[in-house]
Amino acid sequence: MRLRWLLVGALVAMPAVASAQKAKTIDELAQMFDSSRCKSCHAEIYAQWEKSHHARPMMGVAGGLKDTPLAMKGATPFSPDDPSKATIATFPCFKCHLPQAVTHAEDSVAVEYAQALIAKDKAKIGKLQITCLVCHNEKAIVHRLSDGKPQPGVLYSSKEVASHPDKVFKSVKKSGIFKQSLMCGQCHGLGPNLEFENPVQCATLYGSYLHAYIPAGGTQTCQECHMKPINGQADHLIAPNWDDVPGVSKILQEALSLDVQTLGYEWLEKAKTHVPKVVVNTKINSTAGHRVPDG
Amino acid sequence: MTAKTADGKEIGKQSRHYHPQATNEKSSKMLYGAQVKTAYLRDTSIQPYRTKEETFEFVLPEGVRSAEVTVNLFYEISSPALIAEIHKVTRTVTLDR
Ligand code: HEC
Ligand code: HEC
Ligand code: HEC
Ligand code: HEC
Ligand code: HEC
Repeated sequence: MRLRWLLVGALVAMPAVASAQKAKTIDELAQMFDSSRCKSCHAEIYAQWEKSHHARPMMGVAGGLKDTPLAMKGATPFSPDDPSKATIATFPCFKCHLPQAVTHAEDSVAVEYAQALIAKDKAKIGKLQITCLVCHNEKAIVHRLSDGKPQPGVLYSSKEVASHPDKVFKSVKKSGIFKQSLMCGQCHGLGPNLEFENPVQCATLYGSYLHAYIPAGGTQTCQECHMKPINGQADHLIAPNWDDVPGVSKILQEALSLDVQTLGYEWLEKAKTHVPKVVVNTKINSTAGHRVPDG
Repeated sequence: MTAKTADGKEIGKQSRHYHPQATNEKSSKMLYGAQVKTAYLRDTSIQPYRTKEETFEFVLPEGVRSAEVTVNLFYEISSPALIAEIHKVTRTVTLDR
Protein backbone atom coordinates (compact mmCIF):
# COMPACT_ATOMS: atom_id res chain seq x y z
CA MET A 1 0.00 0.00 0.00
CA ARG A 2 2.74 2.37 1.00
CA LEU A 3 4.69 1.62 -2.15
CA ARG A 4 1.66 2.29 -4.31
CA TRP A 5 1.15 5.67 -2.80
CA LEU A 6 4.75 6.57 -3.38
CA LEU A 7 4.47 5.56 -6.99
CA VAL A 8 1.39 7.68 -7.57
CA GLY A 9 3.12 10.59 -5.87
CA ALA A 10 6.17 10.22 -8.06
CA LEU A 11 4.14 10.19 -11.27
CA VAL A 12 2.29 13.34 -10.38
CA ALA A 13 5.53 15.07 -9.44
CA MET A 14 7.19 14.55 -12.81
CA PRO A 15 6.25 17.34 -15.14
CA ALA A 16 7.80 17.24 -18.59
CA VAL A 17 6.16 20.49 -19.76
CA ALA A 18 4.92 21.09 -23.33
CA SER A 19 1.83 19.02 -22.52
CA ALA A 20 -1.20 19.41 -24.73
CA GLN A 21 -3.55 19.54 -21.77
CA LYS A 22 -3.92 22.87 -20.03
CA ALA A 23 -3.90 23.43 -16.28
CA LYS A 24 -7.30 24.11 -14.73
CA THR A 25 -6.07 25.22 -11.31
CA ILE A 26 -3.14 27.13 -9.85
CA ASP A 27 -1.91 23.90 -8.28
CA GLU A 28 -1.98 22.10 -11.62
CA LEU A 29 -0.08 24.92 -13.31
CA ALA A 30 2.49 25.04 -10.50
CA GLN A 31 2.84 21.27 -10.71
CA MET A 32 3.40 21.38 -14.47
CA PHE A 33 6.38 23.71 -14.03
CA ASP A 34 7.48 22.43 -10.63
CA SER A 35 11.26 22.55 -10.32
CA SER A 36 11.67 21.52 -6.68
CA ARG A 37 13.31 18.28 -7.82
CA CYS A 38 16.22 20.20 -9.36
CA LYS A 39 17.24 21.27 -5.86
CA SER A 40 18.66 17.88 -4.91
CA CYS A 41 21.47 18.18 -7.49
CA HIS A 42 21.68 21.93 -8.18
CA ALA A 43 21.43 23.06 -4.56
CA GLU A 44 23.46 26.26 -4.89
CA ILE A 45 21.72 27.51 -8.03
CA TYR A 46 18.37 26.58 -6.52
CA ALA A 47 19.10 28.58 -3.36
CA GLN A 48 20.10 31.62 -5.43
CA TRP A 49 16.98 31.36 -7.60
CA GLU A 50 14.70 30.99 -4.54
CA LYS A 51 15.78 34.46 -3.36
CA SER A 52 15.42 36.00 -6.82
CA HIS A 53 12.60 38.06 -8.25
CA HIS A 54 12.02 35.27 -10.77
CA ALA A 55 10.88 33.08 -7.87
CA ARG A 56 8.23 35.66 -6.86
CA PRO A 57 7.11 37.37 -10.05
CA MET A 58 3.58 38.10 -8.78
CA MET A 59 4.70 39.84 -5.57
CA GLY A 60 8.19 41.07 -6.26
CA VAL A 61 8.65 44.03 -3.95
CA ALA A 62 7.99 43.73 -0.22
CA GLY A 63 5.41 40.99 -0.82
CA GLY A 64 3.03 43.41 -2.56
CA LEU A 65 0.19 41.86 -4.57
CA LYS A 66 0.76 44.10 -7.57
CA ASP A 67 -2.03 42.70 -9.75
CA THR A 68 -4.81 43.38 -7.21
CA PRO A 69 -6.32 46.30 -9.20
CA LEU A 70 -6.76 43.93 -12.16
CA ALA A 71 -9.10 41.82 -10.03
CA MET A 72 -11.14 44.81 -8.80
CA LYS A 73 -14.11 46.04 -10.79
CA GLY A 74 -13.43 49.39 -12.43
CA ALA A 75 -9.91 49.76 -11.05
CA THR A 76 -8.20 49.19 -14.42
CA PRO A 77 -9.39 48.99 -18.03
CA PHE A 78 -8.81 45.21 -17.83
CA SER A 79 -10.66 44.48 -14.59
CA PRO A 80 -13.66 42.15 -14.94
CA ASP A 81 -17.00 42.98 -13.28
CA ASP A 82 -16.38 40.16 -10.85
CA PRO A 83 -13.30 38.01 -10.08
CA SER A 84 -15.27 34.99 -11.34
CA LYS A 85 -15.30 36.60 -14.82
CA ALA A 86 -11.49 36.93 -15.03
CA THR A 87 -9.73 35.30 -17.99
CA ILE A 88 -6.13 34.87 -19.07
CA ALA A 89 -6.73 37.90 -21.32
CA THR A 90 -7.79 40.14 -18.41
CA PHE A 91 -4.27 39.63 -16.98
CA PRO A 92 -2.02 40.91 -19.81
CA CYS A 93 0.73 40.95 -17.16
CA PHE A 94 1.06 37.15 -17.58
CA LYS A 95 2.90 37.76 -20.86
CA CYS A 96 6.10 38.39 -18.90
CA HIS A 97 5.33 37.78 -15.22
CA LEU A 98 3.95 34.26 -15.78
CA PRO A 99 4.31 33.32 -19.47
CA GLN A 100 3.40 29.68 -18.81
CA ALA A 101 -0.14 30.81 -17.93
CA VAL A 102 -0.63 32.13 -21.46
CA THR A 103 0.39 28.85 -23.07
CA HIS A 104 -0.55 26.26 -20.43
CA ALA A 105 -3.52 27.50 -18.39
CA GLU A 106 -7.29 27.58 -18.79
CA ASP A 107 -9.25 30.73 -17.90
CA SER A 108 -10.22 29.00 -14.64
CA VAL A 109 -6.64 29.64 -13.44
CA ALA A 110 -7.19 33.39 -13.97
CA VAL A 111 -10.45 33.18 -11.97
CA GLU A 112 -8.67 31.40 -9.12
CA TYR A 113 -5.86 33.98 -9.27
CA ALA A 114 -8.29 36.94 -9.22
CA GLN A 115 -10.09 35.43 -6.23
CA ALA A 116 -6.77 34.78 -4.46
CA LEU A 117 -5.78 38.44 -5.03
CA ILE A 118 -8.99 39.67 -3.42
CA ALA A 119 -8.53 37.20 -0.55
CA LYS A 120 -4.84 38.27 -0.23
CA ASP A 121 -3.93 34.58 -0.36
CA LYS A 122 -0.15 34.97 -0.60
CA ALA A 123 0.52 31.28 -0.03
CA LYS A 124 -1.42 30.40 -3.16
CA ILE A 125 -0.07 33.26 -5.28
CA GLY A 126 3.46 32.39 -4.17
CA LYS A 127 3.14 29.12 -6.10
CA LEU A 128 3.17 31.07 -9.35
CA GLN A 129 6.84 31.36 -10.24
CA ILE A 130 9.27 31.73 -13.13
CA THR A 131 10.77 28.34 -12.34
CA CYS A 132 13.84 26.62 -13.78
CA LEU A 133 11.57 25.01 -16.37
CA VAL A 134 10.17 28.33 -17.57
CA CYS A 135 13.63 29.50 -18.64
CA HIS A 136 15.30 26.16 -19.40
CA ASN A 137 12.35 24.81 -21.44
CA GLU A 138 9.35 27.05 -22.15
CA LYS A 139 11.28 30.27 -23.02
CA ALA A 140 14.49 28.59 -24.22
CA ILE A 141 13.81 28.85 -27.96
CA VAL A 142 12.91 32.07 -29.72
CA HIS A 143 13.50 31.01 -33.33
CA ARG A 144 10.67 28.50 -33.24
CA LEU A 145 10.28 28.23 -36.99
CA SER A 146 13.95 27.51 -37.60
CA ASP A 147 14.76 25.59 -34.43
CA GLY A 148 11.42 24.02 -33.48
CA LYS A 149 9.47 24.40 -30.26
CA PRO A 150 10.90 23.31 -26.91
CA GLN A 151 10.40 19.55 -26.55
CA PRO A 152 8.94 17.77 -23.54
CA GLY A 153 11.52 16.04 -21.39
CA VAL A 154 14.38 18.17 -22.75
CA LEU A 155 16.17 21.01 -20.99
CA TYR A 156 17.99 23.75 -22.87
CA SER A 157 21.08 25.61 -21.76
CA SER A 158 24.27 27.16 -23.06
CA LYS A 159 25.83 23.75 -23.57
CA GLU A 160 24.74 20.23 -24.39
CA VAL A 161 24.62 17.45 -21.79
CA ALA A 162 23.99 14.19 -23.63
CA SER A 163 22.98 12.28 -20.54
CA HIS A 164 21.36 14.35 -17.80
CA PRO A 165 20.72 12.31 -14.63
CA ASP A 166 17.20 13.71 -13.98
CA LYS A 167 14.29 11.23 -14.14
CA VAL A 168 12.27 13.20 -16.67
CA PHE A 169 14.65 15.64 -18.34
CA LYS A 170 17.12 13.09 -19.63
CA SER A 171 19.09 15.43 -21.86
CA VAL A 172 20.13 19.05 -22.11
CA LYS A 173 20.29 20.56 -25.57
CA LYS A 174 22.19 23.66 -26.55
CA SER A 175 20.04 26.73 -27.07
CA GLY A 176 21.60 29.37 -29.30
CA ILE A 177 20.31 32.25 -27.15
CA PHE A 178 21.20 31.18 -23.60
CA LYS A 179 24.29 33.34 -23.41
CA GLN A 180 22.62 36.20 -25.29
CA SER A 181 20.62 39.20 -24.05
CA LEU A 182 17.70 38.10 -26.22
CA MET A 183 17.01 35.31 -23.71
CA CYS A 184 16.23 37.93 -21.06
CA GLY A 185 14.82 40.43 -23.54
CA GLN A 186 11.81 38.16 -24.11
CA CYS A 187 10.32 39.39 -20.84
CA HIS A 188 12.27 42.56 -20.05
CA GLY A 189 10.30 44.75 -22.41
CA LEU A 190 10.84 46.86 -25.51
CA GLY A 191 8.22 49.57 -25.07
CA PRO A 192 4.42 49.62 -24.99
CA ASN A 193 2.80 46.22 -25.62
CA LEU A 194 0.24 47.12 -28.26
CA GLU A 195 -1.12 43.68 -29.03
CA PHE A 196 -3.62 43.91 -26.15
CA GLU A 197 -7.08 45.51 -26.33
CA ASN A 198 -5.63 48.38 -24.29
CA PRO A 199 -1.93 49.28 -24.23
CA VAL A 200 0.24 47.84 -21.42
CA GLN A 201 3.66 49.24 -20.60
CA CYS A 202 5.82 47.83 -17.84
CA ALA A 203 9.50 46.97 -18.20
CA THR A 204 11.15 48.62 -21.22
CA LEU A 205 14.68 47.76 -20.23
CA TYR A 206 15.53 45.54 -23.19
CA GLY A 207 14.56 48.45 -25.43
CA SER A 208 17.00 50.67 -23.54
CA TYR A 209 19.71 48.00 -23.86
CA LEU A 210 19.17 47.80 -27.64
CA HIS A 211 18.71 51.50 -28.32
CA ALA A 212 20.96 53.24 -25.78
CA TYR A 213 23.63 50.79 -24.58
CA ILE A 214 24.45 49.12 -27.92
CA PRO A 215 24.56 52.42 -29.89
CA ALA A 216 26.89 53.86 -27.22
CA GLY A 217 29.32 51.04 -27.96
CA GLY A 218 28.40 48.67 -25.11
CA THR A 219 29.15 45.02 -25.77
CA GLN A 220 28.30 43.08 -22.63
CA THR A 221 25.30 40.78 -22.29
CA CYS A 222 22.73 40.75 -19.50
CA GLN A 223 24.25 37.45 -18.31
CA GLU A 224 27.80 38.85 -18.19
CA CYS A 225 26.71 41.59 -15.79
CA HIS A 226 23.88 39.88 -13.89
CA MET A 227 24.91 36.20 -13.75
CA LYS A 228 28.65 36.44 -13.01
CA PRO A 229 29.70 32.92 -12.00
CA ILE A 230 29.91 32.06 -8.31
CA ASN A 231 31.96 28.90 -7.64
CA GLY A 232 32.15 28.45 -11.39
CA GLN A 233 28.38 28.55 -11.99
CA ALA A 234 26.16 31.31 -13.33
CA ASP A 235 24.63 33.23 -10.39
CA HIS A 236 20.87 32.70 -10.43
CA LEU A 237 20.08 35.41 -7.85
CA ILE A 238 20.28 37.76 -10.84
CA ALA A 239 20.49 40.82 -8.58
CA PRO A 240 19.32 43.45 -7.79
CA ASN A 241 16.95 41.95 -5.25
CA TRP A 242 14.82 44.91 -4.12
CA ASP A 243 14.03 43.25 -0.80
CA ASP A 244 17.73 43.32 0.13
CA VAL A 245 18.26 47.06 0.51
CA PRO A 246 21.96 46.94 1.59
CA GLY A 247 22.64 44.66 -1.40
CA VAL A 248 20.88 47.12 -3.73
CA SER A 249 22.99 49.99 -2.30
CA LYS A 250 26.17 48.03 -2.97
CA ILE A 251 25.29 47.33 -6.63
CA LEU A 252 24.30 50.95 -7.20
CA GLN A 253 27.47 52.27 -5.51
CA GLU A 254 29.55 50.20 -7.91
CA ALA A 255 27.52 51.13 -10.98
CA LEU A 256 27.01 54.86 -10.42
CA SER A 257 29.82 57.30 -9.74
CA LEU A 258 29.13 60.73 -8.30
CA ASP A 259 31.52 63.65 -8.70
CA VAL A 260 30.81 66.75 -6.60
CA GLN A 261 32.49 70.14 -7.11
CA THR A 262 31.69 73.06 -4.81
CA LEU A 263 32.43 76.76 -4.93
CA GLY A 264 31.68 79.69 -2.65
CA TYR A 265 31.98 83.17 -4.18
CA GLU A 266 30.42 86.58 -4.47
CA TRP A 267 28.78 87.11 -7.80
CA LEU A 268 28.69 90.67 -9.15
CA GLU A 269 25.08 90.81 -10.28
CA LYS A 270 25.20 94.50 -11.14
CA ALA A 271 27.26 97.48 -10.09
CA LYS A 272 27.88 97.44 -6.32
CA THR A 273 25.68 94.34 -5.78
CA HIS A 274 27.55 91.24 -4.77
CA VAL A 275 25.40 88.13 -4.28
CA PRO A 276 26.98 85.50 -1.96
CA LYS A 277 26.52 82.14 -3.57
CA VAL A 278 27.28 78.49 -3.15
CA VAL A 279 27.49 76.53 -6.39
CA VAL A 280 27.45 72.75 -6.51
CA ASN A 281 28.24 70.89 -9.73
CA THR A 282 27.45 67.19 -9.89
CA LYS A 283 28.30 64.57 -12.49
CA ILE A 284 26.83 61.07 -12.43
CA ASN A 285 28.20 58.28 -14.62
CA SER A 286 26.77 54.81 -15.01
CA THR A 287 28.31 51.52 -16.03
CA ALA A 288 24.94 49.72 -16.28
CA GLY A 289 23.82 48.26 -19.60
CA HIS A 290 20.60 50.27 -19.80
CA ARG A 291 18.81 53.22 -18.23
CA VAL A 292 18.75 53.50 -14.44
CA PRO A 293 16.08 53.14 -13.26
CA ASP A 294 13.77 51.33 -15.66
CA GLY A 295 10.02 51.85 -16.05
CA MET B 1 20.83 68.35 -2.04
CA THR B 2 20.73 70.57 1.04
CA ALA B 3 22.74 73.60 2.12
CA LYS B 4 22.89 74.49 5.83
CA THR B 5 24.45 77.29 7.84
CA ALA B 6 27.16 76.56 10.44
CA ASP B 7 24.50 76.41 13.17
CA GLY B 8 22.42 73.89 11.19
CA LYS B 9 19.73 76.18 9.77
CA GLU B 10 18.57 75.09 6.33
CA ILE B 11 19.44 77.59 3.60
CA GLY B 12 17.94 75.63 0.77
CA LYS B 13 17.04 72.26 -0.61
CA GLN B 14 16.94 71.26 -4.27
CA SER B 15 16.37 67.93 -5.93
CA ARG B 16 16.41 66.22 -9.31
CA HIS B 17 14.38 63.16 -10.19
CA TYR B 18 15.88 60.68 -12.62
CA HIS B 19 13.31 58.34 -14.15
CA PRO B 20 11.28 57.65 -17.26
CA GLN B 21 7.85 59.26 -17.14
CA ALA B 22 4.82 57.87 -18.96
CA THR B 23 1.27 58.88 -19.85
CA ASN B 24 -1.65 57.07 -21.45
CA GLU B 25 -1.16 59.46 -24.40
CA LYS B 26 -4.73 60.76 -24.01
CA SER B 27 -3.80 63.39 -21.46
CA SER B 28 -0.66 65.18 -20.34
CA LYS B 29 -0.83 63.64 -16.84
CA MET B 30 2.03 61.37 -15.87
CA LEU B 31 0.67 58.01 -14.70
CA TYR B 32 1.87 55.00 -12.75
CA GLY B 33 0.80 51.43 -13.49
CA ALA B 34 1.57 49.01 -16.32
CA GLN B 35 -2.15 48.69 -17.04
CA VAL B 36 -2.41 52.35 -18.14
CA LYS B 37 1.06 53.48 -19.20
CA THR B 38 1.30 53.75 -22.97
CA ALA B 39 4.33 55.86 -23.86
CA TYR B 40 7.10 57.89 -22.30
CA LEU B 41 6.74 61.64 -22.62
CA ARG B 42 9.95 62.45 -20.78
CA ASP B 43 12.91 60.35 -19.69
CA THR B 44 15.34 61.80 -17.15
CA SER B 45 16.83 58.42 -16.21
CA ILE B 46 20.60 57.90 -16.13
CA GLN B 47 21.71 56.66 -19.54
CA PRO B 48 24.58 54.25 -20.21
CA TYR B 49 27.84 56.01 -21.15
CA ARG B 50 26.26 59.45 -20.80
CA THR B 51 27.21 61.79 -18.00
CA LYS B 52 24.34 63.38 -16.09
CA GLU B 53 25.49 66.91 -15.21
CA GLU B 54 23.73 69.33 -12.88
CA THR B 55 24.44 72.74 -11.40
CA PHE B 56 22.74 73.76 -8.16
CA GLU B 57 23.00 77.33 -6.89
CA PHE B 58 22.19 78.59 -3.39
CA VAL B 59 22.11 82.27 -2.49
CA LEU B 60 23.42 82.74 1.07
CA PRO B 61 21.34 84.82 3.50
CA GLU B 62 22.72 88.19 4.77
CA GLY B 63 25.77 87.78 6.90
CA VAL B 64 26.27 84.08 6.22
CA ARG B 65 29.78 83.40 4.89
CA SER B 66 29.87 79.62 4.87
CA ALA B 67 27.57 76.67 4.36
CA GLU B 68 27.56 72.95 4.78
CA VAL B 69 26.42 71.27 1.55
CA THR B 70 25.15 67.69 1.46
CA VAL B 71 24.62 65.85 -1.81
CA ASN B 72 22.58 62.69 -1.34
CA LEU B 73 22.11 60.28 -4.24
CA PHE B 74 19.59 57.55 -3.49
CA TYR B 75 17.28 55.07 -5.21
CA GLU B 76 13.60 55.11 -4.30
CA ILE B 77 12.57 51.48 -4.66
CA SER B 78 8.79 51.55 -4.58
CA SER B 79 7.80 54.48 -2.38
CA PRO B 80 9.55 57.33 -0.56
CA ALA B 81 9.57 55.04 2.48
CA LEU B 82 11.77 52.41 0.82
CA ILE B 83 15.12 53.90 -0.10
CA ALA B 84 18.57 52.54 -0.98
CA GLU B 85 21.38 55.00 -0.23
CA ILE B 86 24.01 55.28 -2.97
CA HIS B 87 26.38 58.19 -2.29
CA LYS B 88 26.39 60.95 0.30
CA VAL B 89 28.95 63.75 0.05
CA THR B 90 29.19 66.55 2.62
CA ARG B 91 31.39 69.65 2.12
CA THR B 92 31.85 72.89 3.95
CA VAL B 93 31.97 75.79 1.53
CA THR B 94 33.17 79.22 2.59
CA LEU B 95 33.44 82.62 0.96
CA ASP B 96 36.44 83.56 3.10
CA ARG B 97 39.91 83.12 1.62
C1 HEC C 1 20.12 13.60 -10.19
C2 HEC C 1 20.80 14.88 -10.25
C3 HEC C 1 20.20 15.97 -11.11
C4 HEC C 1 18.90 16.42 -11.12
C5 HEC C 1 17.70 15.92 -10.32
C6 HEC C 1 18.87 17.54 -12.03
N1 HEC C 1 20.11 17.73 -12.57
FE1 HEC C 1 20.64 19.11 -13.93
N2 HEC C 1 22.49 18.36 -14.07
C7 HEC C 1 23.00 17.37 -13.26
C8 HEC C 1 24.38 17.15 -13.58
C9 HEC C 1 25.32 16.15 -12.90
C10 HEC C 1 24.69 18.05 -14.63
C11 HEC C 1 26.04 18.29 -15.29
C12 HEC C 1 26.25 17.44 -16.48
C13 HEC C 1 27.57 17.81 -17.16
O1 HEC C 1 28.01 18.97 -17.04
O2 HEC C 1 28.12 16.94 -17.81
C14 HEC C 1 23.49 18.78 -14.91
C15 HEC C 1 23.38 19.78 -15.89
C16 HEC C 1 22.28 20.63 -16.00
C17 HEC C 1 22.18 21.73 -16.93
C18 HEC C 1 23.19 22.12 -17.97
C19 HEC C 1 24.23 23.01 -17.36
C20 HEC C 1 25.09 23.77 -18.32
O3 HEC C 1 26.30 23.66 -18.15
O4 HEC C 1 24.58 24.51 -19.17
C21 HEC C 1 20.99 22.35 -16.69
C22 HEC C 1 20.43 23.57 -17.39
C23 HEC C 1 20.33 21.60 -15.65
N3 HEC C 1 21.14 20.57 -15.27
C24 HEC C 1 19.10 21.93 -15.16
C25 HEC C 1 18.36 21.09 -14.33
C26 HEC C 1 16.98 21.34 -13.98
C27 HEC C 1 16.16 22.53 -14.44
C28 HEC C 1 16.60 20.31 -13.17
C29 HEC C 1 15.22 20.07 -12.59
C30 HEC C 1 14.18 19.82 -13.55
C31 HEC C 1 17.74 19.43 -13.03
N4 HEC C 1 18.79 19.94 -13.74
C32 HEC C 1 17.74 18.28 -12.28
C33 HEC C 1 22.31 16.69 -12.29
C34 HEC C 1 20.95 16.81 -12.03
C1 HEC D 1 9.95 34.60 -18.31
C2 HEC D 1 10.20 36.02 -18.29
C3 HEC D 1 11.57 36.47 -17.83
C4 HEC D 1 12.80 36.09 -18.31
C5 HEC D 1 13.11 35.08 -19.40
C6 HEC D 1 13.77 36.84 -17.56
N1 HEC D 1 13.15 37.66 -16.66
FE1 HEC D 1 14.05 38.87 -15.31
N2 HEC D 1 12.26 39.28 -14.45
C7 HEC D 1 11.04 38.92 -14.98
C8 HEC D 1 10.00 39.49 -14.16
C9 HEC D 1 8.51 39.35 -14.40
C10 HEC D 1 10.64 40.18 -13.10
C11 HEC D 1 9.99 41.00 -12.00
C12 HEC D 1 9.36 40.16 -10.98
C13 HEC D 1 8.79 41.05 -9.90
O1 HEC D 1 7.64 41.48 -10.02
O2 HEC D 1 9.52 41.33 -8.96
C14 HEC D 1 12.07 40.01 -13.31
C15 HEC D 1 13.05 40.53 -12.47
C16 HEC D 1 14.39 40.61 -12.81
C17 HEC D 1 15.40 41.31 -12.06
C18 HEC D 1 15.23 41.95 -10.68
C19 HEC D 1 15.08 43.44 -10.75
C20 HEC D 1 13.67 43.91 -10.87
O3 HEC D 1 13.49 45.10 -11.23
O4 HEC D 1 12.74 43.16 -10.54
C21 HEC D 1 16.56 41.24 -12.79
C22 HEC D 1 17.89 41.88 -12.45
C23 HEC D 1 16.28 40.43 -13.95
N3 HEC D 1 14.96 40.07 -13.93
C24 HEC D 1 17.22 40.11 -14.93
C25 HEC D 1 17.01 39.11 -15.88
C26 HEC D 1 18.06 38.55 -16.70
C27 HEC D 1 19.50 38.99 -16.68
C28 HEC D 1 17.48 37.60 -17.47
C29 HEC D 1 18.14 36.69 -18.49
C30 HEC D 1 19.14 35.77 -17.97
C31 HEC D 1 16.07 37.57 -17.15
N4 HEC D 1 15.82 38.50 -16.18
C32 HEC D 1 15.14 36.74 -17.76
C33 HEC D 1 10.82 38.15 -16.09
C34 HEC D 1 11.80 37.48 -16.79
C1 HEC E 1 6.77 43.18 -21.38
C2 HEC E 1 6.75 42.33 -20.21
C3 HEC E 1 5.89 42.76 -19.05
C4 HEC E 1 4.53 43.00 -19.03
C5 HEC E 1 3.54 42.86 -20.17
C6 HEC E 1 4.22 43.39 -17.67
N1 HEC E 1 5.36 43.40 -16.89
FE1 HEC E 1 5.53 44.08 -14.99
N2 HEC E 1 7.53 43.77 -15.01
C7 HEC E 1 8.20 43.15 -16.05
C8 HEC E 1 9.60 43.01 -15.67
C9 HEC E 1 10.65 42.34 -16.52
C10 HEC E 1 9.73 43.59 -14.39
C11 HEC E 1 10.99 43.74 -13.57
C12 HEC E 1 12.07 44.54 -14.21
C13 HEC E 1 11.85 46.00 -14.37
O1 HEC E 1 11.00 46.60 -13.68
O2 HEC E 1 12.59 46.56 -15.19
C14 HEC E 1 8.40 44.05 -14.01
C15 HEC E 1 8.11 44.70 -12.81
C16 HEC E 1 6.85 45.04 -12.39
C17 HEC E 1 6.54 45.67 -11.13
C18 HEC E 1 7.54 46.10 -10.08
C19 HEC E 1 7.96 44.91 -9.29
C20 HEC E 1 6.93 44.42 -8.34
O3 HEC E 1 6.66 43.20 -8.36
O4 HEC E 1 6.36 45.22 -7.58
C21 HEC E 1 5.17 45.81 -11.08
C22 HEC E 1 4.35 46.42 -9.95
C23 HEC E 1 4.64 45.28 -12.32
N3 HEC E 1 5.68 44.81 -13.08
C24 HEC E 1 3.29 45.24 -12.63
C25 HEC E 1 2.79 44.77 -13.85
C26 HEC E 1 1.39 44.71 -14.16
C27 HEC E 1 0.27 45.09 -13.19
C28 HEC E 1 1.29 44.29 -15.45
C29 HEC E 1 0.04 44.06 -16.27
C30 HEC E 1 -0.92 45.12 -16.32
C31 HEC E 1 2.64 44.09 -15.95
N4 HEC E 1 3.52 44.38 -14.94
C32 HEC E 1 2.95 43.71 -17.23
C33 HEC E 1 7.69 42.79 -17.27
C34 HEC E 1 6.39 43.00 -17.69
C1 HEC F 1 15.41 33.71 -15.68
C2 HEC F 1 15.80 32.53 -16.42
C3 HEC F 1 16.43 31.38 -15.66
C4 HEC F 1 15.90 30.70 -14.60
C5 HEC F 1 14.60 30.97 -13.85
C6 HEC F 1 16.82 29.64 -14.30
N1 HEC F 1 17.89 29.69 -15.16
FE1 HEC F 1 19.50 28.43 -15.17
N2 HEC F 1 20.38 29.58 -16.56
C7 HEC F 1 19.80 30.65 -17.21
C8 HEC F 1 20.76 31.20 -18.15
C9 HEC F 1 20.51 32.38 -19.08
C10 HEC F 1 21.94 30.42 -18.03
C11 HEC F 1 23.24 30.61 -18.81
C12 HEC F 1 24.09 31.65 -18.11
C13 HEC F 1 25.43 31.83 -18.74
O1 HEC F 1 25.93 30.90 -19.34
O2 HEC F 1 25.99 32.92 -18.60
C14 HEC F 1 21.65 29.40 -17.02
C15 HEC F 1 22.57 28.43 -16.64
C16 HEC F 1 22.25 27.35 -15.81
C17 HEC F 1 23.16 26.27 -15.48
C18 HEC F 1 24.59 26.17 -15.92
C19 HEC F 1 25.42 26.96 -14.94
C20 HEC F 1 26.87 27.12 -15.29
O3 HEC F 1 27.36 28.26 -15.29
O4 HEC F 1 27.51 26.10 -15.59
C21 HEC F 1 22.49 25.41 -14.66
C22 HEC F 1 23.01 24.13 -14.05
C23 HEC F 1 21.17 25.97 -14.46
N3 HEC F 1 21.07 27.15 -15.17
C24 HEC F 1 20.20 25.41 -13.67
C25 HEC F 1 19.05 26.09 -13.27
C26 HEC F 1 18.17 25.63 -12.22
C27 HEC F 1 18.34 24.36 -11.44
C28 HEC F 1 17.19 26.56 -12.09
C29 HEC F 1 16.06 26.62 -11.09
C30 HEC F 1 16.46 26.61 -9.69
C31 HEC F 1 17.44 27.60 -13.09
N4 HEC F 1 18.58 27.28 -13.78
C32 HEC F 1 16.64 28.71 -13.29
C33 HEC F 1 18.54 31.14 -17.01
C34 HEC F 1 17.69 30.75 -16.00
C1 HEC G 1 27.15 46.44 -18.35
C2 HEC G 1 26.46 45.71 -17.30
C3 HEC G 1 24.98 45.45 -17.46
C4 HEC G 1 24.33 44.93 -18.56
C5 HEC G 1 24.90 44.57 -19.93
C6 HEC G 1 22.96 44.76 -18.16
N1 HEC G 1 22.76 45.21 -16.88
FE1 HEC G 1 21.02 45.23 -15.86
N2 HEC G 1 21.88 46.29 -14.37
C7 HEC G 1 23.22 46.55 -14.26
C8 HEC G 1 23.45 47.31 -13.06
C9 HEC G 1 24.80 47.80 -12.57
C10 HEC G 1 22.18 47.50 -12.45
C11 HEC G 1 21.90 48.25 -11.14
C12 HEC G 1 21.40 49.64 -11.43
C13 HEC G 1 19.91 49.67 -11.55
O1 HEC G 1 19.22 49.32 -10.60
O2 HEC G 1 19.40 50.04 -12.63
C14 HEC G 1 21.23 46.84 -13.30
C15 HEC G 1 19.86 46.81 -13.05
C16 HEC G 1 18.96 45.99 -13.74
C17 HEC G 1 17.56 45.85 -13.43
C18 HEC G 1 16.81 46.68 -12.41
C19 HEC G 1 16.41 47.96 -13.15
C20 HEC G 1 15.88 49.11 -12.36
O3 HEC G 1 14.74 49.54 -12.62
O4 HEC G 1 16.60 49.69 -11.52
C21 HEC G 1 17.05 44.93 -14.30
C22 HEC G 1 15.63 44.45 -14.37
C23 HEC G 1 18.13 44.53 -15.18
N3 HEC G 1 19.27 45.21 -14.82
C24 HEC G 1 18.01 43.62 -16.23
C25 HEC G 1 18.94 43.54 -17.28
C26 HEC G 1 18.68 42.86 -18.54
C27 HEC G 1 17.43 42.09 -18.87
C28 HEC G 1 19.77 43.08 -19.33
C29 HEC G 1 19.99 42.66 -20.77
C30 HEC G 1 18.97 43.12 -21.73
C31 HEC G 1 20.72 43.84 -18.53
N4 HEC G 1 20.18 44.12 -17.32
C32 HEC G 1 21.98 44.24 -18.98
C33 HEC G 1 24.21 46.18 -15.15
C34 HEC G 1 23.97 45.65 -16.42
